[in-house]
Amino acid sequence: MPPKSRTALKEKANPRDVFTGAYYIDGDVATAYGAIAAGCKFVGGYPITPSTEAAEAFVRRAPYADALFVQMEDELASIETVLGASWAGKKAMTITSGPGYSLMMEGIGFGAAIETPFVIVNIQRGGPSTGVPTRAGQADIMQAKWGSHGDYGVIAIAPDSPQECFDLTIKAFNLAERYRAPVMLMADECVGHMTEKVIVPPADQIEIENRKAYQGPPGRYMPFKPDRDLVPPMVKAGSGNKLYITSHLHDEKGYPVEKSGRGAFNKRLVDKIRLNADDIIDITEEDVEGADVVVVAYGIASRVAYKAVVEAKKEGIKVGNVRLITVWPFPEKRIKEISKRVKGFVVPEINYGQIAFEVERCAHGNADVVLVPHGGASVHNPEDILDAIRLAAKGKGQHKGTIEFETRLAKRIFPSGLKPKKGEGE
Amino acid sequence: MRNPHRLISILDKGVKRSGVGRKSICIVSDIRFPISIAKEDGLDYFHTPRGRAIPFSVGMKLANPDLKVIAFPGDLATIGGNHFVHGGRKNIDITVVFVNSFYYNTINGKKAPLVDRSFSPYGGDEKPFNIPFMAKACGAVYVARWTALHAEELSISISEAINKVGFSVIDLIYPQKNFYELSEDSGEYADLLEFYHENSEIAGGVDIKETEILGDKKILVGKFHESERLDFIQAYNAMQQKMLGEKFKPYGVKQ
Repeated sequence: MPPKSRTALKEKANPRDVFTGAYYIDGDVATAYGAIAAGCKFVGGYPITPSTEAAEAFVRRAPYADALFVQMEDELASIETVLGASWAGKKAMTITSGPGYSLMMEGIGFGAAIETPFVIVNIQRGGPSTGVPTRAGQADIMQAKWGSHGDYGVIAIAPDSPQECFDLTIKAFNLAERYRAPVMLMADECVGHMTEKVIVPPADQIEIENRKAYQGPPGRYMPFKPDRDLVPPMVKAGSGNKLYITSHLHDEKGYPVEKSGRGAFNKRLVDKIRLNADDIIDITEEDVEGADVVVVAYGIASRVAYKAVVEAKKEGIKVGNVRLITVWPFPEKRIKEISKRVKGFVVPEINYGQIAFEVERCAHGNADVVLVPHGGASVHNPEDILDAIRLAAKGKGQHKGTIEFETRLAKRIFPSGLKPKKGEGE
Repeated sequence: MRNPHRLISILDKGVKRSGVGRKSICIVSDIRFPISIAKEDGLDYFHTPRGRAIPFSVGMKLANPDLKVIAFPGDLATIGGNHFVHGGRKNIDITVVFVNSFYYNTINGKKAPLVDRSFSPYGGDEKPFNIPFMAKACGAVYVARWTALHAEELSISISEAINKVGFSVIDLIYPQKNFYELSEDSGEYADLLEFYHENSEIAGGVDIKETEILGDKKILVGKFHESERLDFIQAYNAMQQKMLGEKFKPYGVKQ
């Protein structure tokens, strides 16, 4: 029987780390301010557009918060320094974008395997490869979940405004500390470079969490022995606990194991996120009850979609919207519930179908899913999303998987190109 | 490295000699480090994916400057090469004990950049790295080389490197059994260690450029280089102090 669950230690933010006030800043800068407010003391990074403003803002503020930014030789090293810093007892983060994010996958898997709390900020840009460095994309969402090899659980959060960049960065640190897991802040270039008013509240209004402490006798600490919430307490290096931490498959003590069946240790890496999903998932809903069509979106696409939702309502279409604040773990139960009552979902995202298929999976064939794709380097035309809502509202009830909506841009650029087979799309 | 006990006692002696509390010593390694060292020695131990021992150590050291971090990188000259180069340039205050076994013994003796004649099926003729020279060129403040049987000298070097402020490198010639030839605890393995020891020559004052390991020359060992330079945190604090003046509280210094 595992010991009674201890909970992460909650406390108010340190006033020294909170630069209270009203600012007119972009999402990148707000992310850095949020990290410092959350108690982040270490950032290892490598510069990459469009995330550099976040790193720069952190560097400027770091000396006043007893924090350190170190620019490493590459992203492979950056992510490792973050893991090292976290085990040394500091809250740590790295900031990057697409190409750097790909390089970090090795470290993300390592961090997940040794259950390290850390935050990765990915200001997504257009891909693949170097793609469109200065423009938005949302095509790294599946990579966030599946990017590194092997089984592990992650948490991913998608802010849609500079204010949320601040608030959700704090949330990201809190979740990382609570679950000893990687947390990704999956912003996009639009949100990162969007300048808006950001309120940084006083320190006593910001709640931060710290990793569960070990209270047993020194030398008896088991780094991977979980409590009932499946999360083990954590000590820092240099505290006399004879740590043995390895990237290999390991047992509760941390020693490598190769016997068959021991792979079950990996199950907890997945389960601690999956089984705590209700605690982690954060979505906002509007007019979902009684809706015929529900728009599911996240990040900048959710803001663009909002205009289409307003227009559709004017036309008399019963449309609601669900905005994913946490993208991973995915709100499977809620989407399933909604799917039983609606004709269709509309999923606009700046990629060629990632979360749309996740919605389709959770809809269990109860409702159509209309994907409004976008190739990146810009955002959707709200007219396209409006048309997609109209299409979903017709409710043909075909339930033949995801329907890819053909946007105005696609029609213009590929007028005689390869078309989807008849029956798919309109 | 299959017979780690020798290294345990050497490391142990080095740590004792250094006078640093065992609690604050962290060992970071990557591939091919004998796990039993950490198990038996009771030091905090971290095993990273191959080649990443140095950046992980850098994170630990910079986040908590009170720690004494000793990295035992295995794939240093290949996948970890850039980390080594920049660790030296930044002069991060860690000790790097480079376990130099010349080739990848567990994967049938595949090619490594530390021998000119490699163990690939048809041989090879690639110029090997001269690790001490490279370390100095990158900015390391302490550079030494010993073979596994130079137990006393090695433990002194380890203690000196732990106490040296800055990037310290020890090139440790520690051959591993050849995949095809030697069994784990055979006398042949001891002979191999003996072979390298016998074919080495203590040459502390030699020009570091001459320390290349070549088939027809004796392996030069000794302390090749020691110098003084501000380490990363000292240099950072000095620069911030200059820019920010009184407002700045030095990082990593107990108030």
